[in-house]
Amino acid sequence: MKKNTFALIALGAVILIAAAGLVMHQLNGTPETGMGRNCLECHRAPNVNTNEGVVASNTFCFDCHTDKSRSMRKTETAEVSLQMVPDDLEKGPHRNVACVQCHTDVARTPHRTVAGASCDVCHPPHGEAEAHDPHRRGACQSCHGNYKTVHLDAADGRVKPARVDTEGAAIALIDHQMVDTAKAESCERCHYKANPVGAPAAVLPSKSALCIICHNAPLAIGHPVFGAALVILLIGVLLTLRFWFLGSVQGEKESLHRKIALSSESLWRTIFSRQFFTLLKIFLLDVVFQRRILQESVQRWCMHALIFSAILARFTLSIITAVSHKLVPGSSWAMALVDKNSGFTAFANDILGLMILCGILWAVLQRYILKPAHVVAEIEDNITVALVGLLVVFGFILEGARILVTQLPPEVAGYAFVGYPLSRLFAMTGLDWASVYPSLWYIHAFLGAAFVAYLPFGKLRHVFNTPLTYFIEEIAGVKRGERV
Amino acid sequence: MMEKNKTEETYQRFAVLHRLLHVVVISSFIILSITGFALAFSHQGWAKILVFLMGGADNAGGLHRFFAAFFYLGVMVHLLWLMYFKLVLNGKLTGPDSMFPQVQDFKDLYQNFRYIFGKGAPPLFNRFSYLEKIDYWAVMGGMQSMGITGLIMWHPEFFSQYLPGYFINIANDFHFHEAVLAVAYIGFVHMSAAHLVPDVFPMEKSIFTGQTSREKLMHDHPGEWQRMQAAVKQPVAGEDS
Repeated sequence: MKKNTFALIALGAVILIAAAGLVMHQLNGTPETGMGRNCLECHRAPNVNTNEGVVASNTFCFDCHTDKSRSMRKTETAEVSLQMVPDDLEKGPHRNVACVQCHTDVARTPHRTVAGASCDVCHPPHGEAEAHDPHRRGACQSCHGNYKTVHLDAADGRVKPARVDTEGAAIALIDHQMVDTAKAESCERCHYKANPVGAPAAVLPSKSALCIICHNAPLAIGHPVFGAALVILLIGVLLTLRFWFLGSVQGEKESLHRKIALSSESLWRTIFSRQFFTLLKIFLLDVVFQRRILQESVQRWCMHALIFSAILARFTLSIITAVSHKLVPGSSWAMALVDKNSGFTAFANDILGLMILCGILWAVLQRYILKPAHVVAEIEDNITVALVGLLVVFGFILEGARILVTQLPPEVAGYAFVGYPLSRLFAMTGLDWASVYPSLWYIHAFLGAAFVAYLPFGKLRHVFNTPLTYFIEEIAGVKRGERV
Repeated sequence: MMEKNKTEETYQRFAVLHRLLHVVVISSFIILSITGFALAFSHQGWAKILVFLMGGADNAGGLHRFFAAFFYLGVMVHLLWLMYFKLVLNGKLTGPDSMFPQVQDFKDLYQNFRYIFGKGAPPLFNRFSYLEKIDYWAVMGGMQSMGITGLIMWHPEFFSQYLPGYFINIANDFHFHEAVLAVAYIGFVHMSAAHLVPDVFPMEKSIFTGQTSREKLMHDHPGEWQRMQAAVKQPVAGEDS
């Protein structure tokens, strides 16, 4: 009896241990098999729009992804562990975001991702203010992630964090820390000499608000030289205004306050009267369509219109781009306008630039080779023509160099019908264009700054003076030929 | 037809800057009330249509904040003008030519009620009547409180570092009820007292043209007219705050 009892207890213990072992084995099953999990552990959807749901959802992911052995993943070359440190996430800006809100395609069978983390679910793409337009071909993580090595994916031409390091060892992309992109190290991942992703060898400053005349530009100063140009522009405008108020206004000779009060009064009365429509007519016919130049000479009108209408079109396009990117940053048309490589933008920029260049060449031809009697080449004219001409020439060189160094395929770059042939031409020189690119950029940028700073001083003053003269003549009833 | 008469004497009542600021106030006030109430009554059908037309709640909010900033820019320009008026032009910020409240305003109020009930002569308003002063100070004070409560709702993270969380709810309540008050005040009091009164119906043009006729000046602001007659030998400052 005692023996039987002992044998029964022993048998019971063996069965219990075996059962426990079986359960333990099942609990260690892999997520693909789903062994050892309750159905509802996977097949449920916590509400990730609440912090509670985020914690519930993430706890389930962390169950395996904080364990090295339970998160092994085979790649083509090696086996890596997708073990991550929850603290990377908890201490960053995404602490209240569920894993599946970014990793949109992982909660499924087979448990694999194709898209990777999708930032654009929440974040609209940023514009020129944060980074120059070519960064659009980089995956967000290549700058914002904490990865040292990046590569150019030949399959889609995008810059991404590399899956193998320089020695060929596999890298698991498991770091969830966000880096401070304001720090130089973040840029120097790509911007160094002979980098493999086609970035210029130096980090370039942001575009300036002044660039809006021809390019989509942020509300920023960009570089001290642009700041200086802006100051000179403002001083020039103030000096011009001061000059205008030197004379007497409606008999008032002394008080500047009275002069401003009297002229603003007459401005107000003109704008809020029927004369406004006269001004509108003058603006359309004489300013936009340049009627008076056309009446003088068709040849001069063609030459001037090539330059003027192209700059006006670039300016309009830049304003539309900046505004639409501000209002609807993710929309396809805003993206097409911002992206210099999109067919429309590349073609428009090239044809408008070519128009300016043709106009300038025509002017040069008139001034220095044909020299008809009415053309007087003053030094101020020469500076203006040289500035605009060089600005456009360097713009095209810069575009060619950009297409070359970023290794844009011809089916994309072909719309830039000036820039792409230039890039093929540059490819033949054997120069290290990624190293030359920053210098070219600075030359173009500083020429642009000089153009803006020169606006209120040289012949370019006509941009403001001439329309104003037309308006005042019309209102004051001055007949043509009676000008002072 | 009398308006067309060129020989009629006119006096400048508002400088260009003040007309411009009034246009700023009109345009931003209208847009702020449309976007604001469309967001506040978001469950109503009309609000849904308005918000749809503005491209969604985000855009309506964006417009609301943009025009709030534009409106406040106008307030700051006005404050800069006051500084310029005081320091450069040596103008007076108090006295009968200013918006500064005076004892006379309360006397005018009393006198006006007496007049309304048929117990006396109408008060002789000076350059700005007490109603016009209330209009001015309602906007001036309202802009400060709407600005602060609006800023709290615009940057709740920043303000909740220094204030308890329920201040954001309080700011929301104040902002909404003050908006109702402001629209009601402008819609009923300002519109009827300044624009729809039989004398000037359908609207008071002097805030847009800056000019007022001698007849109107004598009728609306007899106190100012009397002062002008008394000081006819010496020039009177044309502008004011």
